[in-house]
Amino acid sequence: MDYVGSRFPDFGPPGPPGRELTSAKIVVAGGFGVGKSTFIRTIVENDLLTMTALPPERAGLVTELVRIQFGRVWLDPGLALHLFVAPQWQDPRAGWNDVVRGAVGAVVLFDVMRPADSVDAMRYFEDHRIPYVLALNNVHASVRSDVKAIIRGMGIAPEVPVVNCDPRVRLSVRETLISLAEHAKLDRWRRRPGPDETTPLAPVC
Amino acid sequence: MSSAADAHRRRRRVESPAEQTFADLLNGFSLDSGRKRTRGASPVPEREATPVAPQEEKPVFEPSVPESPDASIVRAYAWTGGRTRSNINLEIETLVSANDQSRQSAGILQAEHQHVVELCRSPRSVAEVAALMRLPLGVVKVLLGDMAERGLVDVHQTASAGGVAPDLGLMERVLSGLRRL
Repeated sequence: MDYVGSRFPDFGPPGPPGRELTSAKIVVAGGFGVGKSTFIRTIVENDLLTMTALPPERAGLVTELVRIQFGRVWLDPGLALHLFVAPQWQDPRAGWNDVVRGAVGAVVLFDVMRPADSVDAMRYFEDHRIPYVLALNNVHASVRSDVKAIIRGMGIAPEVPVVNCDPRVRLSVRETLISLAEHAKLDRWRRRPGPDETTPLAPVC
Repeated sequence: MSSAADAHRRRRRVESPAEQTFADLLNGFSLDSGRKRTRGASPVPEREATPVAPQEEKPVFEPSVPESPDASIVRAYAWTGGRTRSNINLEIETLVSANDQSRQSAGILQAEHQHVVELCRSPRSVAEVAALMRLPLGVVKVLLGDMAERGLVDVHQTASAGGVAPDLGLMERVLSGLRRL
């Protein structure tokens, strides 16, 4: 079996070896076919990898593996950013906690035609106090403000950024991630003392 | 899963709600749940009668015929001794890399450890190792945890170890990194 190489180039950190390394992650969530994988592929410029995990409630059945796609990009010589596709929402706890625990934040891709899945994801992130941005999947400019008004009317927190995003366009994906990072930073700053931290999430094996 | 085992689990949840965290609750559903609780009364489901790998190092013989993915997963659980937890806290994004010791002893390592050492010549995350070795996350965490304890891989610091949100310094680093992309 050849695990090395093939399909996934060996791009190590650009810095000198021996440098202190660390990693962070961002989660990309949303309904089926809304462009989660495309979003990540656009920014990491590589094929995504697929990892498998056993969902907790089905752990006895080896065949019932949750597949989780992800990509990785080096943000500086010592910092690897991972972008994980949140597993489909049908099985809410399956694989989510391992993916979400300790994330910088989340991007919720929002398909105007199919809002339900995205709303579930938003609720999850709000419950777990994980900063997120709402990325409208390429809503036409003429109706953008109407759509934003409707979404605001659904009762999401006023500080949550709502942006327009085309997952196929690198600049657009980059802008979305930057608005998430800015929001997450602000959110972290607001909660500096942090008397009660986020509910600790259990690992999935 | 037998209904007896389910009932047993439910009883446990009711018995000690205070001392059980959400983590404990979920872990109760993990692969080795039956194994942990055999002392109680619940019958062991046949599925979990996987042979446990012996503790001493034995050469692993790779079969010449290609295995189905399921078979290799079962085998993988066998050589983790059925454990699904590791002593070392590894997040899915935690980076690990091979070190001098593992490179020097590459020839005498068991096959799975050798694969990890090859993969981690440049730093890889736990998720990448799991994806590239085509093994479930839980197995890879145990494998990497063992290797880290034996000094075969270096585990790099993760920004958010333990589920705490990353600190402001890291947030700033992520932000400026994204702006440079």
